[in-house]
Amino acid sequence: MSDDDTVTVAHGAGTGKTRAFLEDSVVSRFAQNGAGDDLAVGLDALDDGAVHEIDDRSVVVTTDSHVVSPLSFPGGDIGRLAVAGTVNDLAVMGATEPLSLTCSLIVEAGTSVELLEDILDSMEATCEAAGCAITTGDTKVMGSGEVDGVVINTTGVGVIPQGAHVPDAGLSPGDKLVLSGAVGDHGITLLAEREGFDIDGELRSDVAPVNDAVAAALDAGTITAMKDPTRGGLATALNEMATKGAAGIVVDEPAVPVHDAVSAAGELLGIDPFDVANEGEVVFGVDAADADAVVDALQATSVGADAAVIGEVTDEHTGRVVLDTGFGRRYLSEPEGEQLPRIC
Amino acid sequence: MDERCRAAVQISGTVQGVGFRPFVYRTAVDAGIAGYVRNTGGAVEAAFEGPQAAIEQVLQTVRTDPPPLSTVEAVDVEWRDPTGVEGFEICDSTGKHAGGVDAPVPPDTGICEACLDDLRDPDSRYHEYWATACVDCGPRFAVVEDVPYDRARTSMAAFPLCEDCRERYETPTSRRCHAQTIGCPDCGPTLRYEIDAECVATGAECVATGTDAIARAGDALTDGSILAIKGTGGIHLVCDATDPETVGRLRARTGRPAKPFACMARSVDAIEAFAEVDNTARELLTDVRSPIVLLETTTAASWLDVVAPGLSTVGVMTPYAGLHHLLFDHVDDPVVMTSANRPGQPMCTTTESVWDRLGDVVDGVVGHDREIVARCDDSVVRVVDDTPRFVRRSRGWTPTTLPNPTGVDGESPVVLAVGPERDATVAVAGSDGVVSSQHIGAVDSPNTLAFHRDAVTHLQELTNLSPDVVACDRHPDFLTTTEAEQYAADGMAGPVAVQHHHAHAAALCAEHDVNRAIVVVADGTGYGPDGTIWGGEVLDVTYEGFERVGGLSSFGLPGGEVAIEYPARILATLLADTDRIDDRLLETGAVESRDDAAVVRQQAERGVNAPTTTSAGRYLDAVSALVGACDRRTYEGEPAQRLEGLARDGTPQPIDIPYKTRSGDRVLDVQTLVRSLAALTADASAADVAATAQHALASGLATIALDTAAERNVGAVGFTGGVAYNGAISRQLRTHVEPSDCRYLQPAAVPPGDGGIAYGQAIVATARNISVADNR
Ligand SMILES: [Fe+3]
Ligand SMILES: [Mg+2]
Ligand SMILES: [Zn+2]
Ligand SMILES: [Zn+2]
Repeated sequence: MSDDDTVTVAHGAGTGKTRAFLEDSVVSRFAQNGAGDDLAVGLDALDDGAVHEIDDRSVVVTTDSHVVSPLSFPGGDIGRLAVAGTVNDLAVMGATEPLSLTCSLIVEAGTSVELLEDILDSMEATCEAAGCAITTGDTKVMGSGEVDGVVINTTGVGVIPQGAHVPDAGLSPGDKLVLSGAVGDHGITLLAEREGFDIDGELRSDVAPVNDAVAAALDAGTITAMKDPTRGGLATALNEMATKGAAGIVVDEPAVPVHDAVSAAGELLGIDPFDVANEGEVVFGVDAADADAVVDALQATSVGADAAVIGEVTDEHTGRVVLDTGFGRRYLSEPEGEQLPRIC
Repeated sequence: MDERCRAAVQISGTVQGVGFRPFVYRTAVDAGIAGYVRNTGGAVEAAFEGPQAAIEQVLQTVRTDPPPLSTVEAVDVEWRDPTGVEGFEICDSTGKHAGGVDAPVPPDTGICEACLDDLRDPDSRYHEYWATACVDCGPRFAVVEDVPYDRARTSMAAFPLCEDCRERYETPTSRRCHAQTIGCPDCGPTLRYEIDAECVATGAECVATGTDAIARAGDALTDGSILAIKGTGGIHLVCDATDPETVGRLRARTGRPAKPFACMARSVDAIEAFAEVDNTARELLTDVRSPIVLLETTTAASWLDVVAPGLSTVGVMTPYAGLHHLLFDHVDDPVVMTSANRPGQPMCTTTESVWDRLGDVVDGVVGHDREIVARCDDSVVRVVDDTPRFVRRSRGWTPTTLPNPTGVDGESPVVLAVGPERDATVAVAGSDGVVSSQHIGAVDSPNTLAFHRDAVTHLQELTNLSPDVVACDRHPDFLTTTEAEQYAADGMAGPVAVQHHHAHAAALCAEHDVNRAIVVVADGTGYGPDGTIWGGEVLDVTYEGFERVGGLSSFGLPGGEVAIEYPARILATLLADTDRIDDRLLETGAVESRDDAAVVRQQAERGVNAPTTTSAGRYLDAVSALVGACDRRTYEGEPAQRLEGLARDGTPQPIDIPYKTRSGDRVLDVQTLVRSLAALTADASAADVAATAQHALASGLATIALDTAAERNVGAVGFTGGVAYNGAISRQLRTHVEPSDCRYLQPAAVPPGDGGIAYGQAIVATARNISVADNR
């Protein structure tokens, strides 16, 4: 059997191969079927969620299945991740006050009840922090080995004034790019935990609900596009925003906040913090005049202490991201599975 | 046979821009023949009328004694009835180049002896004129916008001829007859010396012009200034090579801590004061194309250690433009002469861009107002095992035609090959040949991508060919691969993704016209069909395909590209002794603590961001870190080059060459080999270990290749890839193969490094003969 006949990890890595799979096999099937006239953002947008326009309001829906190894890690656990992930997807669509969250639990037989309780406690606490409630759910127990530990699916619904949603495709030349905080913490922390690397320095996942921060940003200025840089990291999020917005992005590399411990661990492992997942960050496209106000507003929130302007949108090199390193400029490509060296 | 005849003649080859028409005129007039000559498309068309014997004589001269810069591919003659014309005429050009790989424009060529004499002759109109040129010399490729090659389609069009120059331009007996780059101090491009960007921005008087500008530059260089000097196809950063403080300043300002800088010296004699010049090197240094030649140094002079740190070689060239000759009237040699660019960026071609991008590097700029149409870096040649090998095939050789042995007239598609990512060139192939572009560089930034696109467009214009098929590397992340996909989306067939080492091998085979060979490709990094990084391969190769039949065993690169920067990391997957691994990691600065060293080992063990490779270059890098030759790579090939330098003082020690089997193929067992080398360090000097490592690699790969050739009854064994620049390894491979019945193939016309990849891609794509229709 060749690579093309089986689903590989790359199909789900959140980058080019995932997009190809989604477009060829999923979107083509479901994008149009049965979707009503009310659909403002549908499956084919491959945005963070769907938007239905009903009467004078927009309903935002998003869903995410959460798997993580290990289940608990510095800074969080799968419970916190499951709530924050969906709250954040709603938030970056513009729905910062979730109406409802579902919780579908899939548990491997043999999992300790105490562990499960801890996870549920964590979900409860995170819901409280995000100001949302779980209103419906489902629980399945699978045989030992049929699923790895605990899998949690959450679906979120938010209701906002009609047309108030923010797509990830809205960048236009002249916009500034604002990042809500340092990148790389979640991905590097998880990798170190999973592999048992004894790395110096405080590594801690950034997993957190960002809906309050997004609300503050929306209050402070005109936001043209938003995205949470989860799988594939900042590099992937920026490339998607550039492609979808048909705009060019120039990132001022030294301006991108990266915690020292993450940067050191990244150097040690040869992994670029720009390429790994974040679970408590947002990239904003902001009208240039409002950029400083948005940064100030973000810095006043619990997740935004490191918020900064990290770049701008240009009408050159459409669809691509250029990294200005301070010494020169090169393209920032998105990671495709394992990064294979190109140096000769 | 005194009866009057008429011959209608078509002459093809490199026949434009080389003084071909005046040459035909002189030859015909001397023989008392009437008729005309003109450029038409990419060829020269002539009619000769007169006695048949005299016409035959003229044709003979055209075939056997054409102008120095021309190459005559074919002279087609049709005999017609005479028309009774009188006199002989040079007519204006007609027609667009019909399209073809016969290079329609010659490469840029260094100043000829006759022009040099003019430069020195106080009575000459061209006395001390920095840009003087004639039909036999001067810029061509760098100034031509389109064909046919006429002044109007060059950047000389901006300089209308003065009366004196026009007379020479129109006099068939003059060396400057139809020399499109003719110009004098009155009418030609003007030199000037600028001390800041204001000269450009405000159009204010610059500091000095003409010969004064050169004198001023010479004084500044003597005083330790760093200058940018605009030449034929690019701009150089120039400073006194013999002052370590000045060169150190250049290093600090350009952010190049250790990359060797090329130098220019006034003569071979001057070069012999610090480097070894054998006959092969002498020929190269005195060649009118003046490549940079990598030479063994002969002194321990402290300046050399700053110009080429830690290396036993230095790159040197001789003056090739009038400007350079004049410069040495005002400054001692040698001077550093390196391309004016930031690391990874293309060379600047305007003084404005120098002030813009390198304003904090240069103290002054010598510029001129002739536009550089096509940027063309200096060529670089290394004498390896007594034969010249291109490190970079660029100025002086672009756009000469390389063979396409697999092309079939009228059947093969026109192929565009976009090259790899680093050290890229591009190529356009027709059925009868391949034209490779100048050096482009690392295509990973907006500026190099723009250069890549310009090079593609310029080649298409010069050949007047529009490609049917596009070929690229198999590496999915290369920007050139994305470019190829774009060309395909815009209508070309393909992209034909050619495996990196197949391209290297096909290039070698094609230049020797051998369709099948067992080729050792010892290289840095290339994407393998199995998704791992290849680079130490023995391939059974045809133009169309290949089979991997052996090579190196695989090992990990913990940290991916970081392992290439800090090669001690590779030892973590090769050595067994953890203390020794940790020591090397710490001592080379690859990690900062023992804890971190343990993480790198864990990373290697668990295969976390530790891509698998079979690269010969990475093996040499690892050994370089083992013996302390190189801690950190700061430029391409540095660890292996330093290892080679160290090995020069060593003697290979007898060790067993370990093999193992991988899916039925024999491979050199890198892990066991490196462990033996590590054990050897207890008794042998670092130099001996370095020499042993190189020797084992060469012998192991040669043995696998020779045995395979015998088993499979293949008559040729070749060697290419980036490691083929290593003299000791090349010599060892050759001496292994030569006693056998196999023909030995080594790179000559095509660079064994990635500069030759586009050519190889073009060959493979031609051989696969994909038609546009098939692919849509
Ligand atoms: Fe290569
Ligand atoms: Mg998302
Ligand atoms: Zn000349
Ligand atoms: Zn003149």
